[in-house]
Amino acid sequence: QDLPGSLGAKEVPSVCEMCFWRCPIVAKVKGGKVVKIEGNPKSPTNGRGDKARVCARGNSGIKLLYDPDRVLHPLKRVGERGEGKFVKISWDEALDEVAENLKRVRDKYGPHAIAYFDHGASAEALREVFKGLGTENYSNEPAFFQCVGPVAVAYINAMGYLASGTMQYTDMANAKAILLVGSHVGENVHVSHVMDFVEGLSKGAKLVVVDPRFSVAAAKADIWLPIRPGTDTALLLAWINYVIEHGLYDREFVSKYCEGFEAVKKAVKDWTLERAARICDLPKDKMEEAIKILASARPHVCIHPGRHSTWYGKGDVYRHQALAVLAALFGGIGTPGGLYFPTHIPLGHLGRVKEINPQPSATPLKEKYPFSGPFPGSPTNEIIQATLTGKPYPIKAWGVCGVNILQTIPNPYQTMEAIKKLDFIFSFEILPTETAIWSDIVLPDTVYLERYDDVYVYDGLPQCYVTARQPAVEPLGEAKSPLWVAKELARRLGFEIFFTESELDIINDKLRGLNLTFEELQKEGGLVVLPAKGAYDRENFKNLFGEKGLKVKLAIEDFEDEDFSPVPVFEPTPAPPKGFARLIYGRVPVHTFSRTMNNEWLHHEWPENHAWINDEVATKLGIRDGDEIVLENQDGKRSFPVKAKVTPGIRPDCIYLPHGFGSRSPKLSRAYKKGASDQFLITHYVQDPFMGSSSHRTSFVRIVKDGKVLDIPELRPVPPEIPRFELAAGSAAGCRIEKHLKHKKRRHKKTHAIEGC
Amino acid sequence: MRHQWAMVIDLDRCVGCHACAVACRAEWQVPVNHDYDGYSFIKDYDQWLEVVSPEGGGDYRRNWVLRLGPERTSKGEIAFTFFPGLCNHCDQPVCVDVCPVDPEEREFVDFKTGKKTTMQIKATYKEPFYGAVLIDKERCIGCGNCVAACPYRARYLNDTLDEPKADKCTFCYERIVHGEIPACVKTCIADARIFGDLADPNSEVSKLVRSGKARRLESEMVKIGPNVYFMGKEKNLELLFKHFAPRKRTWEEVEVRARTRRGVLKMALRKLPHLG
Repeated sequence: QDLPGSLGAKEVPSVCEMCFWRCPIVAKVKGGKVVKIEGNPKSPTNGRGDKARVCARGNSGIKLLYDPDRVLHPLKRVGERGEGKFVKISWDEALDEVAENLKRVRDKYGPHAIAYFDHGASAEALREVFKGLGTENYSNEPAFFQCVGPVAVAYINAMGYLASGTMQYTDMANAKAILLVGSHVGENVHVSHVMDFVEGLSKGAKLVVVDPRFSVAAAKADIWLPIRPGTDTALLLAWINYVIEHGLYDREFVSKYCEGFEAVKKAVKDWTLERAARICDLPKDKMEEAIKILASARPHVCIHPGRHSTWYGKGDVYRHQALAVLAALFGGIGTPGGLYFPTHIPLGHLGRVKEINPQPSATPLKEKYPFSGPFPGSPTNEIIQATLTGKPYPIKAWGVCGVNILQTIPNPYQTMEAIKKLDFIFSFEILPTETAIWSDIVLPDTVYLERYDDVYVYDGLPQCYVTARQPAVEPLGEAKSPLWVAKELARRLGFEIFFTESELDIINDKLRGLNLTFEELQKEGGLVVLPAKGAYDRENFKNLFGEKGLKVKLAIEDFEDEDFSPVPVFEPTPAPPKGFARLIYGRVPVHTFSRTMNNEWLHHEWPENHAWINDEVATKLGIRDGDEIVLENQDGKRSFPVKAKVTPGIRPDCIYLPHGFGSRSPKLSRAYKKGASDQFLITHYVQDPFMGSSSHRTSFVRIVKDGKVLDIPELRPVPPEIPRFELAAGSAAGCRIEKHLKHKKRRHKKTHAIEGC
Repeated sequence: MRHQWAMVIDLDRCVGCHACAVACRAEWQVPVNHDYDGYSFIKDYDQWLEVVSPEGGGDYRRNWVLRLGPERTSKGEIAFTFFPGLCNHCDQPVCVDVCPVDPEEREFVDFKTGKKTTMQIKATYKEPFYGAVLIDKERCIGCGNCVAACPYRARYLNDTLDEPKADKCTFCYERIVHGEIPACVKTCIADARIFGDLADPNSEVSKLVRSGKARRLESEMVKIGPNVYFMGKEKNLELLFKHFAPRKRTWEEVEVRARTRRGVLKMALRKLPHLG
């Protein structure tokens, strides 16, 4: 105890939850407090040798645990929704109120009038309660509908497994070339994923990065292709055509494992590099150089599937399908350096948890979206629409856990309107986020360092493992574990789901599948390494549909059956209206979504975001690096003030905002009003016809500086193939443009007059 | 050759994730000064000098990541890189020169061999066996001279304590003595930090230094033998040197103040509010 630093601390192996990558950790405890978090050195992913890595966020879990703003007592709203006025109430009172309200809504409007937005480990137990209530809207994960939906649908249908979803089975460590399309690994940090990326590069892998912005990954690339946003599929189709025309594909792989080659070949035959160069606004020779680099590395080439893929609403699935086709043409599936197969790790049966499968409604919200299954839940924006309109059926109560819906789902103004229409909304929260302050009841959740939770398996390379979460310290205040809350709530609702009070029982049930107990796991340092099996074994690979042997569908019949194109096609997304730039966004390495901006240490590293503006555009507008500006979108919505980052590292037709800043919750004392929220500028969205995810890159902004609205000059002309986004006639921005133009004329006159004096 | 701990930071591997900076803060309970939130966005050396004022205080950090670019280099390429920094444990530590505390004799023991030696040290000193620049917290009077002297801004005055003390990176000397590796190295997700002994010809650091790939962040004006080295693409090193190579002999102003013992007086003044 007298040793300096974290030396001599009690070490508790557990699992991180600062993001969902869930690295194995060791929490170091001194004097009853967590003083340090390190990686679990036994982990084959973030351990390895004498290292034990956690990222900046993993290191900062302590400051989530001890955040002075934490919700530590059940709260009941006393002011208006969104006003943030609450009183402390007892757990009994809070749970009674939640149960009564949910019951009342169910009895009056039926079970589907209740919806649950969830994400992360805390949300799982409560999800069972919603299933128990009988709603079909029980797992409306923004993680799917606002993030991985398109890439998941593309890869499940093309390859029969989720090559990229929560996990990425990308063997970058052994790749000879890597392609990233919009993925900004390095700024988007998942420890073992970044490790694989860096390892591959250090061993000499060539890197091609397609991104309108000069990302950290682009800075490490051999070729950076600053593509016109929304045209990635055009580039991929031209590359596919080039690869086929020049015989640069893996004939053996294609004939042995692929179906639909002729259909693809026919579909892409008009996609010349020249045509794509014009549409994508890229130099043809660079495009050619890049595809030659990738092709010459085949089959050890990693065509990264991407992850967050809800970009334009139309055509998102085709973009990822095209990436899958390219990977297959190179034979880069089930081979070192390409995409690989996860290892099946059998967990034990959950005898102590009742299995519930709610009956769907007569008019399911996901009905229009043929590919929203096999995942449960309804597209989040359909829930919001149903809440607003009462159609096809009314939704009157929401529960929220682990997701800040106002900083996650496009058009938060609409979400707020929907919340106003609800009879009841509650959240199970750690911090007083925007969602919490819009809730009627807020239940205090435990931080991952305070609870037993679940068994976590890693099923990728270089080796697999099993580990489990356990508490390092007792919960603070009145925070309660998800299992306790779910059990108490179910009891009040008159049913039982969990036939135990101990998470340990559930952990042990699952571990039994591996002939392990929690105790044995602890003796092994909290983690047991398991061999990765069949990562490159194409013959014995078993797909999600239970079929053995890899079969890649270059043309997907199931898509055709639902009147989509079986092969990827380019569907242009409208270009920015005159005077506007496209708003694009991304991650910073020290923050997770909008969750960590209030964390003392992470806030110190990165307190606010900066709006990246192309240097030529900035010069024309008279904006200097560091100037304070406001962004105004096509609907006249304005951001909080944000500093301009003037750089050649972004195209002139985009403005980039790192995601998650600009909190609107005054209860988050550090994060409140720091930087600008991209989400509050994304008011226009398009829903993907495949699975109903909503687009995030279909809003446009211009700059307001010193109260003056500045139009973005169009330095890169838009080709005729690409339609232009039309401002709604009479919309706020439309009117404002006219006003602004008039105003501008007047101002010019005035300026002249002054100069004349 | 004398032992000398050193670190090489490989900017080709570094992704600028800030894990090092936060791990160090956690390990050594480095406080946060909210007036200096956003330290990572300091753009150049002059601005950097301002953040740690000659009076001490300012930002608190032993270990940091500053972000450089994307911007064009002299050759017109675009570069985007980082300045992950820490104390350089210099060959000629100017921070030691300006310490006004009277020297005292101290016995040192090599934790590896048990070998002993005695040396006269002030409150801050270069440790005789491995060349780490350390602070004797018992004797530090918190005058802030060393903080102002360091041209790398690698020291800060921890004035959140009842008695302010200078603080800085120790290369995690205490952890190494206990068989651990430095906290920033242990957590580095990109394995961009290579730590070792320059006296060991087989160590990775000495190989990299010998090869000429790893470079000291110094200038014509400031050459005090830093033992943190940087390597990476030329365009990235160009940004690093352009913005953050030290270009002020910061310690020369401080020596005068040390002689007048203004520092001691200042410390006494700083303590006054606590007396009330």
